[in-house]
Amino acid sequence: MKNLNEISTRLEIAKKKIKKNQIKDNGTNAASLGKALKISTELVASVVVGSTIGFLLDNWFDTKPLLTICFFILGVVAGILNVIRSAKKMHKINKYRKR
Amino acid sequence: MSLNPMHQFEVYRLGPEINLGSINLSFTNASLFMTISASVILFFLFIGTKKKSLIPSKIQLVSEMSYSFVAKMINDTAGSSAKPFFPFIFTLFMFVLFCNMVGMLPYSFTVTSHIIVTFVLASIVFVGVTIIGFIKHGLKYLELFVPKGVPVILLPLIVIIEIISYLSRPVSLSVRLFANMMAGHTMLKVFGGFVISLGLLGGWLPLGFSVALTGLEILVAFLQAYVFAILTCIYLNDALNLHH
Repeated sequence: MKNLNEISTRLEIAKKKIKKNQIKDNGTNAASLGKALKISTELVASVVVGSTIGFLLDNWFDTKPLLTICFFILGVVAGILNVIRSAKKMHKINKYRKR
Repeated sequence: MSLNPMHQFEVYRLGPEINLGSINLSFTNASLFMTISASVILFFLFIGTKKKSLIPSKIQLVSEMSYSFVAKMINDTAGSSAKPFFPFIFTLFMFVLFCNMVGMLPYSFTVTSHIIVTFVLASIVFVGVTIIGFIKHGLKYLELFVPKGVPVILLPLIVIIEIISYLSRPVSLSVRLFANMMAGHTMLKVFGGFVISLGLLGGWLPLGFSVALTGLEILVAFLQAYVFAILTCIYLNDALNLHH
């Protein structure tokens, strides 16, 4: 029991220290690096998927460059949409945290 | 040959060749390192949870922290309705994390630096989430592709764009993990090669760089496992709670 009492006093001291110093978020740097990597790949992936779908449909319908070009553009649009969406999501989370 | 930065990614067969029909099922170094990572996880969690003391030992503390970390992540991003999927996400997170970390050891092989491995993991998530969505909402799940408040003339275009953006999820998930791991390990090897070719006089600067890059690479290894797990949670959230 003595051991437990000692730990509880230590815990209280540690809690007081935390309140005094208001320890900063040290995870923010790593988290923002993660977000940057996330957004960059999102843009590329939809372009690749769009062009691949276009290429496959082209092979199917024998309309060589036409559908690839159309779906490439659609892929770019989808990529930009994805980026905007995830940026909005991050914004929401940040707002929620600040409150 | 050993200075070639891409040489570390070579997959080769260990032991006899096993063919099942047209599928090559031989045991490779990739399978060996997957087995090693899985057994390290099992061993670590077994030791960590064996002696449940009120005042935890260091290893018990780490295993409890990994549990609460993933539990908090699921709760924050997908809500309490995603609780039943905790085992899957925990397994996924630990597997990716330990594959990345085992790959940081010298002379080891990084399983996650191969796109087929990460793509299979991402496809499991993608197919699973789609099935969960259809089970939970039935055909209403297709409303995910039809955003509200769009003029009817634009609708066919928007639906195609939404489908492309939905299909791009596994690609972006797998390419992110694969590209980060491969680029980091290639860079480490290139700087290691500089140390040897510049010799005792000029080799110190690249040596310093490799030390710094190793630290960065460990950060990236953790971060990518985290991002993989958190995106799985976000996709799960989309499937469980159907609204944008």
